[in-house]
Amino acid sequence: MPTLTHRRLHLDQTKMAECIQRLAAEIAKAHPNATNLALVGIHKRGVPLAYRIAHRLRTDHDLTCVVGTIDITQYRDDLGSFTILPRLEGSDIPFDIDDAPVVLCDEVLFTGRSVRAAIDALMDFGRPRCVELATLIDRDGREFPIQPTYCGDRITLPADQRVAVRFVEIEDDNEDAVYIESAPLSQA
Amino acid sequence: MTPRKDLLDIASLSNEEIEFVLANAAPFKDLFRRSVKKVPPLRGRTVLTLFYEPSTRTRSSFEVAASRLSADVTHFDVEFSSVVKGESILDTVETLEAMQLDYIVVRHKQAGIPNLIARNTAASVINAGDGWHAHPTQALLDAFTAREVLEDLRGRRALIVGDIQHSRVARSTSLIFRRLGMEVAYLAPGSLMPRQIPDEITTFGNWQDAFDWKPDIVYLLRVQSERLDEPFFPSATEYHNNFGLTDARLKVLNDRKLWLMHPGPVNRGVEITDAGMNYERSLINQQVENGIAVRMSVLYWLRPGAAPVA
Amino acid sequence: MKRLYKNAQIASADSPKLPSADVLVEGDRIIGVAASISDASDAEVIDCTGRILLPALFDIHVHAREPGQEQKENIASCAEAAINGGVTGFIMMPNTTPAIDNAGVVRTVLESARRARIGSSIYTAGAITKGRKGEELAGIAAMKNAGAVLLTDDGFPVDNPQVLRRAMEYARDHDLPLASHCEVKELSGKGSMHEGSVSYSLGLPGIPSISEEICIARDIRLAEFTGTHLNIQHVSTARGMDTIWRAKQRGIRVTCEIAPHHLLFNHEDIGDFDTHYKMNPPLRTKEDNAALLEGLIAGKFDVIATDHAPHTPFEKNQDFASAPFGITGLETALVSLYDRFIAKGIFGWDIIVKHYSAQPRSLFKLPTVPVQEGGVAEFIVFNPNRTTTFTREFMKSKSLNTPFLDKQLQGQIERVIYRGEELLAR
Repeated sequence: MPTLTHRRLHLDQTKMAECIQRLAAEIAKAHPNATNLALVGIHKRGVPLAYRIAHRLRTDHDLTCVVGTIDITQYRDDLGSFTILPRLEGSDIPFDIDDAPVVLCDEVLFTGRSVRAAIDALMDFGRPRCVELATLIDRDGREFPIQPTYCGDRITLPADQRVAVRFVEIEDDNEDAVYIESAPLSQA
Repeated sequence: MTPRKDLLDIASLSNEEIEFVLANAAPFKDLFRRSVKKVPPLRGRTVLTLFYEPSTRTRSSFEVAASRLSADVTHFDVEFSSVVKGESILDTVETLEAMQLDYIVVRHKQAGIPNLIARNTAASVINAGDGWHAHPTQALLDAFTAREVLEDLRGRRALIVGDIQHSRVARSTSLIFRRLGMEVAYLAPGSLMPRQIPDEITTFGNWQDAFDWKPDIVYLLRVQSERLDEPFFPSATEYHNNFGLTDARLKVLNDRKLWLMHPGPVNRGVEITDAGMNYERSLINQQVENGIAVRMSVLYWLRPGAAPVA
Repeated sequence: MKRLYKNAQIASADSPKLPSADVLVEGDRIIGVAASISDASDAEVIDCTGRILLPALFDIHVHAREPGQEQKENIASCAEAAINGGVTGFIMMPNTTPAIDNAGVVRTVLESARRARIGSSIYTAGAITKGRKGEELAGIAAMKNAGAVLLTDDGFPVDNPQVLRRAMEYARDHDLPLASHCEVKELSGKGSMHEGSVSYSLGLPGIPSISEEICIARDIRLAEFTGTHLNIQHVSTARGMDTIWRAKQRGIRVTCEIAPHHLLFNHEDIGDFDTHYKMNPPLRTKEDNAALLEGLIAGKFDVIATDHAPHTPFEKNQDFASAPFGITGLETALVSLYDRFIAKGIFGWDIIVKHYSAQPRSLFKLPTVPVQEGGVAEFIVFNPNRTTTFTREFMKSKSLNTPFLDKQLQGQIERVIYRGEELLAR
């Protein structure tokens, strides 16, 4: 059933790239000469974000880092209320996070619940030296005491509107863009 | 995928559901490489194993799976409670219902008991083997294991050998193999071969014909010791010589690089020899490990109180 | 007091035709059957337009469960269930607790039966062997003198052929028919359903058709050898039916029963271990259904008998292997046979009248009850245009173990008249 959703463009491809560039610059500034910096993208759009940031760190700042992915499905506090269960992507962190600075990457920070789940999931892989958060869009509506360490763009929206980020790497996204969508809310 | 209340057999699963369970088993298996093998989705949930027929292996597998999902795991010791007091199954279920469990893992020597329990409880019921009827988690782990070595199962062949008549494993595993596109054949003495099996399953009465059929997997069934007392075959030796995986037959497996599976526990000297246990392409230990991952995947999918399948 | 059943269609054993007629009843008799009876102004008129008027039914295979299993049924509830299904007489099976295996128990159950509204049409069978154990002969002559009309160990075969031979000789000399539940116990083993494709997929031990067929062949040979009237109960397989038919053609005194459930259902109906479809002999295959139906139409069966076997919900709400065998049948037989066969034009009303009213009575030398002038007024008014829903409230049996529970079927028994008296009027 197609849902009628009103949406407007918030960031186009160019502006989105600028945001990512800015995120990479801030991370590079905070971790000069880091040797074991790890980026961990939260499934699913945190993953392309992590890879994009890693790319910019390498090209713009000559900073190499490892990239992992994390599937927070099993750590979600609302898993029991899902009417449709997602297929598990699995987490792929093929490196040791003990004592490493880890930057969690997520495309939108809203309630903070996903980040809470991601921190829990990450801790089951080891004991990082520190955990930071990089988010493309920070919107208001926090339900947990969580703030981004690095943020591409910050916006305030009515409760019935949501931020929809598109990455060409994601199947069916077909573009790089950030939209603001009105109700009805659909599960990303 | 929509969560389901119970897992009672393979027949009632859709292909999509089978694929969902198998796909999720892989990330669960990846957890076993970590030092923290536990994830939290069943935190605060209670899983009860209700085994009317002893099976340390299957019970442990479910208990480990449930623990790794952070569930609280309890065992209801049937031998010392209800059976002795002459309680009916439904009396027991009523008691369990009062305990407000979330998942009940049932094994029973009578076919259909898990179905009966499932109809009478809000908890999710998982059939861990009922009589000769079904053993769905075994079938799922067998399919998962076969896929690990053969990848696409379509067009591949599995030869299931042994006591087909009394085997829930043969019934469930043959069904899932066929659903995933495999061809299945049974090899058994006539007295242990059911008379009316599905037309799609080929039957053999000797190894030579079965080998000529060119299987990719040889799946041995356990010969239950109680069958030795009934006149299904004259003796364990005669069974071994005619239907067991003798060293000579093992050589054929080795020459042709065939995979060997067995649901365990094995009867050394009956269906398999010591050499067979050490066979290079034996998947027996892999089956055990995968059993935990597949059962985690099943527990993740089922949801207490979800609408039962009509 | 006269009653005039106006404008009914009269069913008979001889023809599927349903001639229209008015039927005038006075006392326990039918005093007039004619195309139009107009000189009965003193009679209560019952409009039977569009209704079938057929002789009341007689069931030779009923488990009334008294004495000993009154939680399932007793004779009083069984009689009410019978009336509810248009059955005005039946024969009780002796697999009670204790078994009906001596004159004392025969007298006790018959005495209890007399209190029912159809009391004088309730008969009992006596067991062949003491305790139905298949070992020692029961007190056959004494049971006959006390009123037993049939010998059977129903529920069990008599395993030992020597014991059965002696029983047959004894039954013959006392002019009692002997009825066989045919089964080779060793072949049935722990089986709880037909051995076939469904038992394979459900993983249930099966009862092979040969278990029944071998015993049918054996019992017929013994009946031929001893010259005894043998009745084969609840035939479930096509081969078994053919064996009996060939014996009949050779002139052997053998008769046989068909149960409605063996015509209506087969092993595929068991579905998800539904114990309402567990009976012995088990539901066989679709092919057996078809062959048995054809056999019934061709006259290979003498009688339709339900094998009415009540069990409590508690007993049936077990796993399939542990649940007892049997379903109830008295209340559902006529309507279900109408719905599935007569309404669809598969057979006519004569099949019902012949096999479920006339022949069951004549088999036991009881007078039949055709709708004719001067005859006893014992008939059913059946409305094919109405439906019956077998709800808990509808059922008079103490037990509800029927697959028809809460199902709606075409046809309704509107009235049941027994010896002139209306026992039921809806």
